[in-house]
Amino acid sequence: MTLSHFNRRLHLYLGLSLLPWFFMYGISSLPFAHNQFFEKRDAARKLPLWTVRLDRPLDLAVPEGEENLRALGASLMKEAGIESASYGVYRQSPTQVNVYAYSFFKATQVKYFIDRKILTVEDRRFRWDHFLTGMHARGGFEQEGVLQDSWSVIVDIVSGGMIVWIASGLYMWWGVRGHRLWGCLAILSGTLSFALFTWRL
Amino acid sequence: MYLALFLFPWMLMYGLSTLMMNHRAIFIAKYGRGPAPFEKERELTYQGSFPENAEPQLVAQQILDSLDLDGAHTASRRKDGAIVINRNGLLVPRRLIYTPSDRKIVMEKMQYRANAMLERYHRRRGYATGYGVDTAWAISVDLVIIAMVFWVLSGLWMWWEMKVTRIAGALAVLTGSALFALFLAAI
Repeated sequence: MTLSHFNRRLHLYLGLSLLPWFFMYGISSLPFAHNQFFEKRDAARKLPLWTVRLDRPLDLAVPEGEENLRALGASLMKEAGIESASYGVYRQSPTQVNVYAYSFFKATQVKYFIDRKILTVEDRRFRWDHFLTGMHARGGFEQEGVLQDSWSVIVDIVSGGMIVWIASGLYMWWGVRGHRLWGCLAILSGTLSFALFTWRL
Repeated sequence: MYLALFLFPWMLMYGLSTLMMNHRAIFIAKYGRGPAPFEKERELTYQGSFPENAEPQLVAQQILDSLDLDGAHTASRRKDGAIVINRNGLLVPRRLIYTPSDRKIVMEKMQYRANAMLERYHRRRGYATGYGVDTAWAISVDLVIIAMVFWVLSGLWMWWEMKVTRIAGALAVLTGSALFALFLAAI
């Protein structure tokens, strides 16, 4: 197997294996890039995004700092009867802690009002644009599950894959002598446009 | 091919920025949470004038024009009357604080961090700012989106045309799709 042959196969099979991610990142960029359009479209339906499922008193000690906030989030989810491996905890205000538990299809928000000692649980209505942006934004190694980490490893592979595609694509293009001039022009104009944006934005 | 060659800086940026964002914890450990701090760049006295009770947006526009810093920005008035202008520069985000009582402008720039800069590129939209260059950037992002979908479809077609790689290619597509479906169902 020659280097050129290996390069072409790498380009092909890497692309085919990661095709669902590449397609998802492409499609899901639309609701990010045209956020206002999707928001207006949904607002026209006049449906509430969040629905309160539970609202009850709860007396729970809240740690002062940020260190044990995640453990508090797990306790709040347990109190709310939510089983989710993926969640984030943050202080909405000095008197409120929010837990955002999510999967690709569902999202639930647990709010704990420290001063009033009230626990509220709200479910988010399913929206296709949120489903797509949720997949797009998913990543990082902050969650505890093996599958969660595996997804993030794939995100790394896709990101690395993009760089490999660029390098292998450049190598393949250079190998086709007839396309060198026009290819150079395409690279040059793309690079100049990007540099211009960097300078002016 | 030419589309890919033209868009390679965008794809490189998206690849690198995604890697950085996926490993945000490393940067949080290094720099702490929250955005990079601003540091004072210079201080000057503004020589122009504004209409009485001018809106922050008008003040911001005039100041940015005079300093040759016009571009995507937000402006607000603080409780003490000072106008805070956040100029959302891609390379160097700046904050300008104008105090009407002494006509002073304090110009600050955000401390440079490579990961934050790449993330700004990644998250940059543009249609809503009203600036031509931002709209052009947003169009370029749309072009990347169209290109990505096109590459998926054209890649599938090119693979199918090469008979020798059909079986191994089908295995690659099936494995990737099955894994993707598993993630969808399980996390």
